[in-house]
Amino acid sequence: MTATAGGGVSIAQGLVCPAPLNANDRVQLGHGSGGKMSAAIVAERFWPKLQNSALGQFADASLITVAGAELAVSTDSFVVQPLEFPGGNIGSLAVHGTLNDIAMMGARPVCLTAAFVLEEGLPFDLLDRVIDAMARASAEAGVPVIAGDTKVVERGKADGLYINTTGIGVLDGALRPAPGRATVGDAILVSGPIARHGMAVMAQREGLAFESAITSDSACLMPLVEQLRGLGSAVHVMRDPTRGGVASALNEIAQASNVGVEIEEGALPVPDDVRAACEMLGLDPLFVANEGVLVAFVDAAVRHRALDLLRAHPLGAGATAIGVVVAEHPRMVALRTGFGGTRVVDMLPGDQLPRIC
Amino acid sequence: MCLGIPGKVVELRDDNGLAMGVVDFGGVRRECCLAYVQDDVALGDYVIVHVGFAITKVDEAEARRTFEVLKEMGDTAELDWITQVATDSLAMGGDA
Amino acid sequence: MKFLSEYRDADIAKALIARIKAEATRPWTLMEVCGGQTHTIVRQGLDELLDGAVEMIHGPGCPVCVTPLEQIDKALAIAARPDVIFTSFGDMLRVPGSDCDLQQIRARGGDVRIVYSPLDALALAQRTPDKEIVFFAVGFETTAPANAMAVWRARELGVRNFSVLVSHVTVPPAITAIMEAPDNRVQGFLAAGHVCAVMGWTEYEPLAEKYRIPIVVTGFEPVDILEGMLLAVRQLESGRHEVENQYVRSVRRDGTPAARTTVEKVFELGDRKWRGIGEIPMSGLRLRSEFSAYDAERKFGVADLAVDEPAECRAGDVLTGRLKPPKCGAFGTRCTPEHPLGALMVSAEGACAAYYHIGKYRTQETAGAAS
Repeated sequence: MTATAGGGVSIAQGLVCPAPLNANDRVQLGHGSGGKMSAAIVAERFWPKLQNSALGQFADASLITVAGAELAVSTDSFVVQPLEFPGGNIGSLAVHGTLNDIAMMGARPVCLTAAFVLEEGLPFDLLDRVIDAMARASAEAGVPVIAGDTKVVERGKADGLYINTTGIGVLDGALRPAPGRATVGDAILVSGPIARHGMAVMAQREGLAFESAITSDSACLMPLVEQLRGLGSAVHVMRDPTRGGVASALNEIAQASNVGVEIEEGALPVPDDVRAACEMLGLDPLFVANEGVLVAFVDAAVRHRALDLLRAHPLGAGATAIGVVVAEHPRMVALRTGFGGTRVVDMLPGDQLPRIC
Repeated sequence: MCLGIPGKVVELRDDNGLAMGVVDFGGVRRECCLAYVQDDVALGDYVIVHVGFAITKVDEAEARRTFEVLKEMGDTAELDWITQVATDSLAMGGDA
Repeated sequence: MKFLSEYRDADIAKALIARIKAEATRPWTLMEVCGGQTHTIVRQGLDELLDGAVEMIHGPGCPVCVTPLEQIDKALAIAARPDVIFTSFGDMLRVPGSDCDLQQIRARGGDVRIVYSPLDALALAQRTPDKEIVFFAVGFETTAPANAMAVWRARELGVRNFSVLVSHVTVPPAITAIMEAPDNRVQGFLAAGHVCAVMGWTEYEPLAEKYRIPIVVTGFEPVDILEGMLLAVRQLESGRHEVENQYVRSVRRDGTPAARTTVEKVFELGDRKWRGIGEIPMSGLRLRSEFSAYDAERKFGVADLAVDEPAECRAGDVLTGRLKPPKCGAFGTRCTPEHPLGALMVSAEGACAAYYHIGKYRTQETAGAAS
């Protein structure tokens, strides 16, 4: 039915493209994606008016000294949909997420606070399951929730419930990882399979739903940090690659440390079913969220020891090296493909969207 | 232009006169429309799925036949030989 | 995954690359007209590995990139209506219209949702009878059967609150347009495997004959694409110009007849604008008049919306291989991935964005190595 000849169409010179977008007058979902739009809203709106030296660390948690004690403080809000997903719910996620941010600084979390925004009409049995999961996660980590708050908004004003948690941790010893400490030659390790959380949640979304056995990796990373603690200052950077995935975390580290990052595509641990789900929706697992994986940049000399230590704990059984820090192409992440080709892995502007082409 | 991936038909059913089914993509399953391939697809067959529609059946015999040829090409010894030829031909001015 | 992973085998790919280099006696210029193939070529760095033995021009094969500004603006106008839930494939959400994109419409209160399949949009219409559900029916021949079926089923099931905004294009007229351009450089084509899975390849036979060019129906994985290139190079080296099928496991000469039949029942050929290229006669699909009740343009009175596209971006020249992105005056200055002038800078696989990233990388690598 398709015509095979369109005749001599002259292709007009240099026309047809849209003007740049200039109507960015309000918040979009992409501002919460962990990508470039998130970075921009912080840099352009929050930072100029709220800036101070602690906030300026731009790390998972800020370090401050109070009465001689070095503390790490972090806060995080959880707005996941659906509220319950294979492998956890918003309650366990809210505990793990903030504990992990504290742990990534090498600090030992000592307490949490939790603030709830509940939507009118939320079933109590759902709320109870969320609180149960929080209680379990808090008990397992040995970190109590010491203050809380509850607000209720009208029906339709919140997606069931939102949770904000804040954590405080104490620093001691030589383990002082920071985003700016990546050094040329460092080995880059991940503690386990990537992209599970994002795809477990995606599987439940209206319009994209699929059936799979994929579960969220949501977990408390404190035990893995304890495994590495003995390596002290040889651990240069730790990060839990949540929103924006491993790719965004590596980009942030490359920029903070002014180094190049090089990773091997074949070394990335992506479970088969996660990869299949990504193929189906046209998503790149490097940009999919994790909630129980840590990325560590360690001195090359302790690389094998660090891997052995991670693997000695069940959470780190799948730990593997994925790349190295290089002097070339500072502030950029390059990926070597299985065929020896190279491509740049940039941060995404906003959320990764399923594609058809 | 069109993201289409191969999957195995694991369930067939009729939805109000429309041939539907479940297709398994390496452990991930999704409901797909099989209307366009229903006449030559049975349980266990592979189809290419694009935006929830099976657009063609994968011919396993052809796939095996053509892949064997490629596999032979990927043989390391041959690879080295070809690389050598390529390098030589480049050195001689690219006249293979 | 079966029929996928094996076509990513690095040894086979390396052997194919070596063979292409060995057999090409001069650099050949090929074009793929398929966003999926462009995706693989760019992500795997395949053209870099070919060392110039084959130059790949990334043609107008991405339905997202060629959807004209006019259709995007119609989508934005419809999506902004309070009575509408606007549904779309994910990759259309970020394509800039005249003054915003679908994501910004959502931020302003529009109900814009991503669906995986047009049947999901139809199901949403059945579940939500008090809203108008509009689906953005973009795509090439591969997607047309799915979109046609959604419309067909809507009529069959008597769903009245469902309509489609059609922006369908077809490949052969684009090949004609490229070959007829006075300064065409393309010497052979890789035809899109999934388009041909539906359409077969008979309509490419007169094109290969008329323009004396090899056309190789090609799959999407690295091994497929490299084999497609090799077959095209062999034809060029031996002076042949045929339609050849690399993607034999999925494509038959007559395609998938049942899919074509439904497409023909629902759609008819019509003129269509391509973003960056302009209008190509009889290159698009539009709803047949008996389905006008499902035409969102009519339903929401946007059919007459006409938009002039500003001139600074030269996407048309890039898509037809006459301009390398870095030679464009706006490249990297007034046009970047963060602030794109055109669709080619929007997605990471767009030709301009691909050059932007690689260029930045190579410059920095040189600088880093020197310091």
